[in-house]
Amino acid sequence: MIDRIASGFHPFVLPFLAGMFFVFGYCIYGILKILLQLPREDRLQFYKSLITPETAVKNVKDIFLNCLLHVKLWKRNPMLGFMHSSIAFGWFMLIVLGHVEVILFVPERIKFFYYPIFFNYFVAEADSTVKGSVLFFLMDFFLLVVLVGIALAVIKRFRSLIFGMRRTTRPSFLDLIGQYALWAIFPLRWLAEGFTAHISGGSFMTIPLNWMARQFLGNEFNMLPTWWAYSIALGVFMFVLPFTRYMHIPAEMLLIPMRNAGLRIRHARRGFARAEIFSCPSCGVCIDACPMSVKKANLKDCTVYLNRHIRRGHEKRVDEISDKCLLCGKCQAVCQVGVEGPTLRMAQRATRRYSIEQDYSGIDTRPLADAARGSKVLYFAGCMTQLTPRIPRAVESVLKKAGVNYVWMDRDGGLCCGRPMLTAGKIGEAKQLIRKNEQIISESRAHTLILSCPICYKIFREHYSLPGVRVIHHSQYFDELVRLGKLSPVKGSGSVVWHDPCELGRGSGIYEAPRDLLGRCAELREAGHNHAESICCGGSLGSLTLGFAQREAMTRNALDDLVKDAPDAIATGCPLCMSTFGRYADRPVKDIAEILDESC
Amino acid sequence: MKENVIIIGGGVAGLEAARQMLSLGLRPIIVEQSDHLGGHVACWHRLFPDMTPARELVAKLVESCREANIFLETTVQSINRLKDGYAVMLSNGVNILSRAVLIASGFKLFDAAKKEEYGYGVYDHVITNRDLENWFAGAEDLRIPREPKVFGFVHCVGSRDIKAGNTQCSKVCCMTAIKQAIEIKEKFPGCEVFCFYMDLRLFGKKYEDFYLNAQRDYGIRFIRGRVSEVSETIDGRVQVKAEDTLSGKPLKIQMDCLCLMAGMQCNPSATSIADMLHVEVDTDGFLRSKDNIYSILESQKPGIFFAGACTGTKTVPETVAEARAAALSIFNYLSR
Repeated sequence: MIDRIASGFHPFVLPFLAGMFFVFGYCIYGILKILLQLPREDRLQFYKSLITPETAVKNVKDIFLNCLLHVKLWKRNPMLGFMHSSIAFGWFMLIVLGHVEVILFVPERIKFFYYPIFFNYFVAEADSTVKGSVLFFLMDFFLLVVLVGIALAVIKRFRSLIFGMRRTTRPSFLDLIGQYALWAIFPLRWLAEGFTAHISGGSFMTIPLNWMARQFLGNEFNMLPTWWAYSIALGVFMFVLPFTRYMHIPAEMLLIPMRNAGLRIRHARRGFARAEIFSCPSCGVCIDACPMSVKKANLKDCTVYLNRHIRRGHEKRVDEISDKCLLCGKCQAVCQVGVEGPTLRMAQRATRRYSIEQDYSGIDTRPLADAARGSKVLYFAGCMTQLTPRIPRAVESVLKKAGVNYVWMDRDGGLCCGRPMLTAGKIGEAKQLIRKNEQIISESRAHTLILSCPICYKIFREHYSLPGVRVIHHSQYFDELVRLGKLSPVKGSGSVVWHDPCELGRGSGIYEAPRDLLGRCAELREAGHNHAESICCGGSLGSLTLGFAQREAMTRNALDDLVKDAPDAIATGCPLCMSTFGRYADRPVKDIAEILDESC
Repeated sequence: MKENVIIIGGGVAGLEAARQMLSLGLRPIIVEQSDHLGGHVACWHRLFPDMTPARELVAKLVESCREANIFLETTVQSINRLKDGYAVMLSNGVNILSRAVLIASGFKLFDAAKKEEYGYGVYDHVITNRDLENWFAGAEDLRIPREPKVFGFVHCVGSRDIKAGNTQCSKVCCMTAIKQAIEIKEKFPGCEVFCFYMDLRLFGKKYEDFYLNAQRDYGIRFIRGRVSEVSETIDGRVQVKAEDTLSGKPLKIQMDCLCLMAGMQCNPSATSIADMLHVEVDTDGFLRSKDNIYSILESQKPGIFFAGACTGTKTVPETVAEARAAALSIFNYLSR
């Protein structure tokens, strides 16, 4: 081992050092800012989770699996996963092995941050020793891994379909600079290490390069410029990093522990929301997933652009994007870092002040509470179900056949569940309605509440406080009745496809109960996209600005996907999906209760 | 030699056009997909404003078209553009050459079951304007009680309703509802009759008088406000919830029968013929005329003419007038 430069310093490391200090400084500033923006109790909860052994282990594991190995991305598309993990993990290993080299051979130099990065320039270690040759082999191996990843990234730029992406994000100017710098870093490193391969030693990548490119690499005058270029590429990348999509690399390492601590979005921009916004890697997986992007419409209204506009402070576009969204949650389901697109938008809507505020405090709940008394089982149809009378009729018929003693609490009128207000960002108004309904239900002394509308179901589950009351969607309840033997459906000859309503599937995680139930009544088929990938019907009341003409294309697209396997009928468990599909479908669209009612 | 002219559709428009063509010395050939002539009007009982029996009008038209070639239960299979005219292939194997084609395929009644909140096809006592008209004409309908005490009409079902996919006004339903309300009142003088409307569009001759009569002489109650929701009571009656927007109050009325005024939309077979001919469909779903002021009856393709409700919602007198004008336009076109 020879320390080639006695002082251990050369000016070419300066761009790298400056970039590194800048990026570290920026990250510390960003972390402090986010932490200070958290509400006090959230902050304490976060600190506590960092020292709790279970969450601490989970944090390390999640960061390793998601940030370095990109496990989720592998599941989405192996090519995409390979590309990202080879760059991230390969680069990580180069840094780790660089440190190992410094610790093993020149431990006194570890205080220089740049030594592990530029080790081969400063230190000549003969690759003839076992230690040296193994380490050099590993270094070259991971360099190869990263180079393969970079090559794939270049291919992806021009042929994204190979990676399962029809549309990708339009990079911003700084994104492009960051990207080209990133692409340049590793080929330059290879080249730079090629110079020193015959001095400092090398392995299967660097030594052959040194032999083959002797014309260039043999000329010592080319050496320093190449190391300079390598350092400058690193410096440029780190200088632009905070202003590009690559900010997701440090941000995600903060987001994962914060999420594991159980934090939630409490403000449209601050604290946890900020961590999510900066964690968006701008990959654009949400563009293809967004149901609004049918026929190339609304391409710039998906979550990746919401994040970008929030970061740039384009308030007008942030409002437009927030209001347009159907809140179907598919972008969140496919998102690799788990950015909660719908929640961010609802928080943004909640920041708006309206000149009129509704007041529901005067509503007299006594007649409604009287109507809800008399049974342990309550059925709440909700506004949307009232507009589709086939559903409550079938629900009642099934309940009677099963011999359930129930009360239809809003048969003669009821209060809204509050979800439309909540999605519009009117949290105060929604809470008024929630409190009123809670009062009606708790006074009834019922222990089960059946809902035939997933829109109601979601808010009842998440925002209502009903101790001792089991809130259940009718598809689940009926599935239980069948399992208990209270109903015995006869399997018909027809086939049926199940449409997962957004609020029931992605929103509440109920996928299997309706499928089990339908499978007992008819031959069950699957849509092209199902479960968490199900496509929104387009009728969602989540959107505040989409018109009917724009929604029609979305509905037709979802229908085409539903009937891929040529089912005789379409079944769903949401009155809004049912009436939306019913408008354009070429075959019967039924509620799951109707199908069950017909077969028993 | 007499010239062939193909008329697609044997409703009021097709029949009247054929009658005129016969008298102009042409040879009309009517292609009708159903088993009867007269179209929707043949299923109607009486026509406003003079309560003319629809059957008489249809019988008169059919009688005067006896010389015409008529193919019932026949559809157009294909149409090919020739150098000077069209070759039309019918589903019964007949092949006709003609220099002019008249599209008179009319409208399709909106399927009221699509407005599920009104309960058509779900509740026992919800009917449509067509059901009621059939019943007036003598057909049996168990949904209409023997002695109704309260009877309701809902205007604009599937018209001026973007959710139903139709933004156009169907023109005739306001008057039809008033006419049918009066007829109900005549049959059951003790019955209370309500009409729920958003606007009353009474543009035609004597329409406004009819409306005044309905209020003054028959005591029919007009409530401005859309019906929000219909449900069924335990004893099987229909319960209607609406808002009276003039008094600003919500209403809840129980009824023995509710009649939905289903509107008009373009006939899907007109759209398929338009496809064969490469004739454009307008943004409202009806066929596109050369222009909507001076050349409503002409398409953008030479020799293709329109008459009646295939280009938009029309009343019977408007349809008859258009059919006559179309016959003359075709005569002029052929004798150029």
